[in-house]
Amino acid sequence: MAFFLETLLGGLMSGMLYSLVALGFVLIFKASGVFNFAQGAMVLFAALAMARFSEWIPGWLGTENLFIANLLAFVVAVVVMFVVAWLIERLALRHLVNQEGATLLMATLGIAYVLDGIGQTIFGSDIYKIDVGMPKEPVMMLESVFEGGILINKEDFIAALIAALLVVSLTVFFQKTSTGRALRAVADDHQAAQSIGIPLGRIWVIVWCVAGITALVAGIIWGSKLGVQFSLSTVALRALPVVILGGLTSVPGAIIGGLIIGVGEKLSEVYLGPYVGGGIEIWFAYMLALVFLLFRPQGLFGEKIIDRV
Amino acid sequence: MFYRENGQFKTTYKADQQAFAIPQDRWAIVALVAFAFIGIPLLVDEYMFRAIMVPFLILSLAALGVNILVGYCGQITLGAGASMAVGAYAAYNFMVRVDGMPALAAILLGGVIAAAAGIVFGIPSLRVRGLYLAVATLASQFFWDWAFLRIKWFTNDSSSGSVSVPDINLLGWTINSPTDKYLFCLGFLVVFTVMAKNLLRGNMGRQWMAIRDMDVAATVIGIRPMYAKLTAFAVSSFYLGVAGALWGFVNLGSWEPAAFSIDRSFQLLFMVIIGGMGAISGSFFGAAFIVILPIFLNQMLPLIGGLFGLEVSIALVSHVEIIIFGSLIVFFLIVEPHGIARLWATGREKLRLWPFPH
Amino acid sequence: MTDSIHSERITFHDAIETMEVDFSSMTFADVAEVDAIYDEIDRRLTATGQRWFFLVLYTDCVIAPEAWDRFAERGKSANINHGRGSVRVDARAQTREAIRQSAGRESFRSNIYDTRDQALLALGEMRKRQREQASGADEVFLRVENVSLRFGGVKAITDISFEIKRGEISAIIGPNGAGKSSMLNVINGVYHPQEGTITFLGNVRQQMRPHEAATHGIARTFQNIALFKGMSVLDNIMTGRNLKMKSNMLQQAFWFGPAQREELEHRAKVEEIIDFLEIQHIRKTPVGRLPYGLQKRVDLARALAMEPELLLLDEPMAGMNVEEKQDMCRFILDVNDQFGTTVLLIEHDMGVVMDLSNFVVVLDYGKKIAEGTPDEVRADPNVISAYLGASH
Repeated sequence: MAFFLETLLGGLMSGMLYSLVALGFVLIFKASGVFNFAQGAMVLFAALAMARFSEWIPGWLGTENLFIANLLAFVVAVVVMFVVAWLIERLALRHLVNQEGATLLMATLGIAYVLDGIGQTIFGSDIYKIDVGMPKEPVMMLESVFEGGILINKEDFIAALIAALLVVSLTVFFQKTSTGRALRAVADDHQAAQSIGIPLGRIWVIVWCVAGITALVAGIIWGSKLGVQFSLSTVALRALPVVILGGLTSVPGAIIGGLIIGVGEKLSEVYLGPYVGGGIEIWFAYMLALVFLLFRPQGLFGEKIIDRV
Repeated sequence: MFYRENGQFKTTYKADQQAFAIPQDRWAIVALVAFAFIGIPLLVDEYMFRAIMVPFLILSLAALGVNILVGYCGQITLGAGASMAVGAYAAYNFMVRVDGMPALAAILLGGVIAAAAGIVFGIPSLRVRGLYLAVATLASQFFWDWAFLRIKWFTNDSSSGSVSVPDINLLGWTINSPTDKYLFCLGFLVVFTVMAKNLLRGNMGRQWMAIRDMDVAATVIGIRPMYAKLTAFAVSSFYLGVAGALWGFVNLGSWEPAAFSIDRSFQLLFMVIIGGMGAISGSFFGAAFIVILPIFLNQMLPLIGGLFGLEVSIALVSHVEIIIFGSLIVFFLIVEPHGIARLWATGREKLRLWPFPH
Repeated sequence: MTDSIHSERITFHDAIETMEVDFSSMTFADVAEVDAIYDEIDRRLTATGQRWFFLVLYTDCVIAPEAWDRFAERGKSANINHGRGSVRVDARAQTREAIRQSAGRESFRSNIYDTRDQALLALGEMRKRQREQASGADEVFLRVENVSLRFGGVKAITDISFEIKRGEISAIIGPNGAGKSSMLNVINGVYHPQEGTITFLGNVRQQMRPHEAATHGIARTFQNIALFKGMSVLDNIMTGRNLKMKSNMLQQAFWFGPAQREELEHRAKVEEIIDFLEIQHIRKTPVGRLPYGLQKRVDLARALAMEPELLLLDEPMAGMNVEEKQDMCRFILDVNDQFGTTVLLIEHDMGVVMDLSNFVVVLDYGKKIAEGTPDEVRADPNVISAYLGASH
């Protein structure tokens, strides 16, 4: 029983991490109707920026203070992501207004490749460390209830908290602010939004910046946990089923979807895995997404997809 | 001046219906095929065959498959690599488990199995489209990635999923030299291209294009979306399966699941986008581009770097390659969604008028 | 030229519901002469107050080039206003060709016979077919019963019933938003009504998939022209033959043999339709490049390629100028005439509706407010108030 709980909690934690990445997808889709395949590449790029700058800045400024280095690195990384967002909007998206979903998808695929290449050229392709002072030791909890207690990873726990915080602030942003309203209008219909005076280009830059910051946060957390390396961009592929489950247009959906996928993956690996040769994490999430696509494509919380005749 | 249709009147529908209606085109194609069969082996060295020609032929076949599904029928897929894998491993199983199975039959049967798998994983296309469909095809990709790695039966109990096959023996002709491999693959490509052309200009092709352009209107005319979409998946997967088997048997000799990973799927999609969706020639242009570009960059970049006194590492070359691919994708999607094939067609239009401006 | 000379050339045969016009050995040197005889023809036709078949004799008839357009135009309008079908007689092939060429179009392309007897035979066939269609009314052709359609809270159609007879041209009219397009969509299976049934050719059903409607013989055109933009005109129309093509994929992959034969067979049929709608010059053009009026014609061609029993036309005249409308009217009449296709159309142009249709249903706010012949409907006070004096 304790083991089950451990697995469960472990799954919830890793699910939170997926949600962080999924959030980026949802944000951009919600606001611009674009499905951003480049989200993973953005996460990696952001993490790389953070990692390398936190390495270089001490050298440039001659300071040993880790906190200052990290802080400055964070600021620089944010600026970098803003620039990236602006460039993406300017060079690519602006010209693809109102193309159909598949075209946009493929374009973001191209952007992902470009980001990958540029990132590795500028920042290098080794494995880098991010050290933001996240606690690495696991902790034993609930020792009184279960014998020996349950092993909880402090880092995952904090990550979950951060993710929750991010979600709340984003939900508030979308629902309560006028910019948020404008973003939702744009997602609904580009041309209609334009015709009432919403500056499409600027809105998109805002959206991609927000997504970029989300990517940065996700990148820092994942990078701190796994180290910053190329496989980070494949994290995006792991997060795709999350948005299918949760619904492409739902921020809470991204969280719930992430939790479900995280738990599902862990549980299935532990309990089903041994029967079929193991390693089923890789496709469990996708099979779940497939089932949803067949029976409820809009996911748990998404808007129903309407086809116009 | 030379490429004009003046004076060429078709007097029967049959004449109008031909695959290459303009005699100049027909001659050009015949010449091209003749050159491919006879001229190239005389001119090209071993390295070129192995590094460029054979991969180009096989990937053209694969790109043709992807083009049928994505370009002509409008169904996006990110699981093309999986179809190739199914074809390759199925062909392998036929070879290994059935005594005396001729390699040619094994390859074709591999394609058939891939087609069956393609139909099954194509079912989501009846429910969703666009990026949702893309995700569904990813499920196929990851599933087969895992299956060929972990299910021992598929790989004859190989621990890493890697298998190998001996040289193909076709009615006494052992295919082991690069020239042999080239001719073998060329034969496949020519036959399959002819079949594709026939399918695409006939009723099936029209059904696929109707579904692509406006599937509601298509149903109103009586086209059944299920039939059209699933046959597109089937035919496309068949082509991909055969290409996969060829890739494994002829190009590599031995392979593991990673040869058909999601990177392969992306690569095929890129070929079709850059080369031209909805045009048979687009598959060839795209494959040529994707095969030649890395080699080109490998030679050119160090040279260019040398001009500026920069040391260009291999890693840098591969990074630049990725950047160029990505940028080209975005470029083509913005500027010419119909790819190089459309540029080529526009060029030919101008050639028909030359030397007159209009 | 006096009335009496011309009236000799016009004979009414009541038994076969035919008006015979004898142009033989006549010479039309200018527009005035054309008008003279056609005025007489129109006068006599209007006086009878009914529609006739036309039997026209052209032996040794000479029409000067200046008079051609007028001749064609008057003949066209006579057909539209008073005709049920026409056959023409001319012994000499040269004249036939001259007629075709000078007209610059195939207006007189078919229904030309060598002798009067042959023409009368064809006329008899035409009459028989029309009668069969009219009397085949023990089998219900199309009946809409108590159909209601809602989209969420919006009631598009509320409890509508009407019946269409085979072989007729019927129209649904009404102000914008009355539910006309929705009604068409229900008939052809695109929308599924919450209540009510549709009976077509004796089959009762509440819901049907669009492609099933197609297999049962219902074809339609769209208000927004749902053509396949990536294909040429010829290919678009060929897609309409899809249901009639039988060869399987393997045969098609190998092309030579059954697949090619079938393709050519259907190509011939499609070319007939292309001739009929006079779009030969654009058959290889990608559809996306065509002007709106021509796209509508291709839409119609594609629907005709299905050889439907029932043709649903959604605002076929929308966005057309006067000439295009006349052409379209002519096509619709000819379709009904020659192929015996029953037509149900939605239209805003009252003139067109009055001229073309035998039967009109009027909708307003999703309900039926009147039905009947064009004249009855025009005089109906409910209809008048619904349109609030919109005049045509």
